[in-house]
Amino acid sequence: MTITTATKIPPSTHEFATVIHRLEAGGAMLPDTPENLMQIIGLYKAYAVPMDFYWRDLLYIAEQVFLDPLPAFKYFLPQEYLDLANHYAGDDADLRIWQKGAASAHPELLEFMEKGRSAKMPKIFHHLLHDRINMEFAEACMQAMYWQRGMGGQFDPYLDTEEYKQNADRAIKAYFKGNPAMLGLYKLFPEMFIEQVRQMSYYSNLGLFWEVMAPVFFEMSDLYDAGKIKSVPDAMNFLVNGIFAVAGRPIYHHVYIRGELFEIIPKSCGFTWLYEAALPYVEAVFYRTAPFRGTKSYNAQAEQVPGEQKDFHYGILYADVNPVGSAGIPPTLLMDDMYHFLPQYLLDYYEQHCRGKDDMLIQLGVSFQRSMYCVTSAVIQALRGALLYPLDDPNPLHLQANRDFFESQIDRFKRPEARLRDIQSQEYR
Amino acid sequence: MLSSIIWLPVLGALLIGLLPNSSRLIAGITAAASLAVTIVIAAMFNYQDAGLQFIEHLSWIQPLGLDYVLGLDGLSLPLVILNALLLFLAVQSTNKEVDRPRLFYALLLLVGAAVMGAFLAHNLLLFFLFYELELIPLYLLITIWGGERRGYAATKFLIYQALSGMVLLAGFLSWAWFAKTGDFNYESLAATHLPANLQLLFLCIILLGFGIKMPLVPFHTWLPDAYVESSTPVSMLLGGIVSKLGTYGLIRFGLGLFPDAWVIVAPWLALISVVTAVYGSIIAIAQTDIKKTIAYSSVAHLSYVLLAISAGNSLSVLGAVYQMVAHGLILALLFNLVGIIEAKTGTRELAQLHGLLNSQRGLPFVGTMLILTMMASAGIPGMVGFVGEFLSFQGSYLAFPVITIICLGSTGLTSVYFVLIINRALFGKLEENIIYLPKVQGYERVPAIILAILIVLLGVQPNIVISHVQVTTDALVAGVSQDSNTLALLKVNQSEFPTGLSL
Repeated sequence: MTITTATKIPPSTHEFATVIHRLEAGGAMLPDTPENLMQIIGLYKAYAVPMDFYWRDLLYIAEQVFLDPLPAFKYFLPQEYLDLANHYAGDDADLRIWQKGAASAHPELLEFMEKGRSAKMPKIFHHLLHDRINMEFAEACMQAMYWQRGMGGQFDPYLDTEEYKQNADRAIKAYFKGNPAMLGLYKLFPEMFIEQVRQMSYYSNLGLFWEVMAPVFFEMSDLYDAGKIKSVPDAMNFLVNGIFAVAGRPIYHHVYIRGELFEIIPKSCGFTWLYEAALPYVEAVFYRTAPFRGTKSYNAQAEQVPGEQKDFHYGILYADVNPVGSAGIPPTLLMDDMYHFLPQYLLDYYEQHCRGKDDMLIQLGVSFQRSMYCVTSAVIQALRGALLYPLDDPNPLHLQANRDFFESQIDRFKRPEARLRDIQSQEYR
Repeated sequence: MLSSIIWLPVLGALLIGLLPNSSRLIAGITAAASLAVTIVIAAMFNYQDAGLQFIEHLSWIQPLGLDYVLGLDGLSLPLVILNALLLFLAVQSTNKEVDRPRLFYALLLLVGAAVMGAFLAHNLLLFFLFYELELIPLYLLITIWGGERRGYAATKFLIYQALSGMVLLAGFLSWAWFAKTGDFNYESLAATHLPANLQLLFLCIILLGFGIKMPLVPFHTWLPDAYVESSTPVSMLLGGIVSKLGTYGLIRFGLGLFPDAWVIVAPWLALISVVTAVYGSIIAIAQTDIKKTIAYSSVAHLSYVLLAISAGNSLSVLGAVYQMVAHGLILALLFNLVGIIEAKTGTRELAQLHGLLNSQRGLPFVGTMLILTMMASAGIPGMVGFVGEFLSFQGSYLAFPVITIICLGSTGLTSVYFVLIINRALFGKLEENIIYLPKVQGYERVPAIILAILIVLLGVQPNIVISHVQVTTDALVAGVSQDSNTLALLKVNQSEFPTGLSL
């Protein structure tokens, strides 16, 4: 999909004209270099394994743990959810994206859950030592989406409807049946319980979103290893095609209480993956609020926190992944999670740069940032495809409309904190 | 045996000239050998004997009264060990890629040898020779390998130090002439008794000479420039040991030889010390260059030594010696760490340094050591600085309570400027323009680790030093009291502090 518009409309005068032209030519915001490709694909692979855990556990919490007031074991995934068939992998898949893999949990994930990075020991010790997948990261992503409400779509407004409240009410009463204390509390503070159910709905939303993304990333890694993805645009186009393929996947929230199904958000509501999960996720986590603990703290009194939520710009596309060392905080839980599953070629690559093993978490954080710029490029291209015109449209007015769209998207990266400038250079590590 | 620890570094300097490709190795070996012999001497030292030990006496130029007399007592022993140690560590702290390594290492060894000679010399002219001998190599070390303003700093250093030497020489010559001893041997001069007015005159001359060396306000202006412009190993030697020649001289030649006059000048010295302490601390707070802050902190902390010496009692003089050791270790480590920071980040400016404690890409080892050293400098218990200040202030309080309390207040200012450095340079977010810092290599950590161990060890077990020093300092003060009824007012019997000394 290499297309040029240079002869049909004049060059862009945007600050990021090179990036705009690249997008217009069917490329990504990330420059197309073998090094970038290796980094983003390696990171997709390393991200996909913990993501396979995230989506399963998110659904487990949304569907089974639900309103447990003391959910001490919510990260202890039962076998049922490890075996849960991914709808986009395995022989029985609705739409098989990951061609080589099974529908149940990834073997590398199972091996890591068994042994951890240290030694085989009872699950509780793995948990307490953080020698496990850090589900806290996934929960923080969910909270970011929930906190940044009102980002468009129909899913979020639905959570405030009377229909939703009635569905939640039924589930709450069923869940606490025979528990007069909790039912009494519910009587006293109904909104508090409804609020918890809304959060559970976002657990489900994110779980269903990542259920798609995990096989997408696994497949991209397999294709790269097989030499079938040869450039950054190839990778981006695979994502764009994947987005379109699963755009209509239903987003819902089901709860299972004592074997009975409660549809808090039924599939019949018609909420779909692209508009109700993917776009809010990208907006909340990529742009507005990355749950990257310890990367930076903000001083509200110094007006470092914007008054409007839409002006937040603390997502991964803006984050400085270098942690604040004085607090001794590791550079995010996700980086730790990905570190366990890095392909060998990335380990070798990181060893050669900066401080090698000593700052590998930061290096992979930067690679993650690059890979998320590629995902964001795919989303921008998908939106352009859905809302505007083909890149090879012969009409200059249409091409200009495309350009206006690209420029308005890229305007969001004019802020000094944005890493778009940095990722243009290979030296940013 | 004492000669060996002076001449081993000189031999090393000569060997460097003969074997040009192994200058660092030779410097390291000879400095290590000198340190090893010093440790052997320390092990053989009889700490119950207040007199000179390991005496070496050779007649040299008899018409001038210049004899080669070396000796070691409890006053010079800790400083000799400190000098040998810092020389070794200074060699280790030198950048492996230093320009003109042969000359650099040779000059470094010569400085170490000269300072060693000055601490061991018991002939005033011999002391003067060694005292002046370190001047030329230090001048060259600053002017060739120094920072941007090295020429200015080196010239200023040379002028002040030469002036200090000239004043001392004038004092020594006129004193020997009046005393009519026929030589410059310390023991001969100590045996004479001059009238109080002459004592006062000679003491003032000597005070001026050593006051410039220490330095005291208002003769301090050479120090910040020299310390800041020097390269790391030279700063370590300058701040760690060379400055101790001044305080050592005050005890050895001032308090030891002019007891009557000392009583008269002591209150004035205490006054100068408190002015120096407060001035140095306040100026240190105002600095934005870490090395300059440390330089002014050195001025303030050495004034505690002067206060303790001026009190002139057994506890305070013991504290003064301990504080010299503490100051030497702490300052050397601070300069070593700042040197690493500058080498890695390219700056010492607080405005440009943030988040160095960053565990992934910062300098966590250096940051941790810096906090430890600054705590030691601020007198936190459990570290060597606390013991030095505790003994010094406890002793000086008996003679100058108000001044001691003000000096105690100035130790609080130490915490202020060091907390400012810690807060700005170590905490917070690593500046993005220094995000790709090179790693601190293993060999670069060695000097800091050794110094940090000593700082903690001597903080929890001060008797290691005190047991070797106390008899000599007690004898020194006891000698003073026999000669002066007035000073007896200032003297505190050592038996009043048995528990305090065995911390």
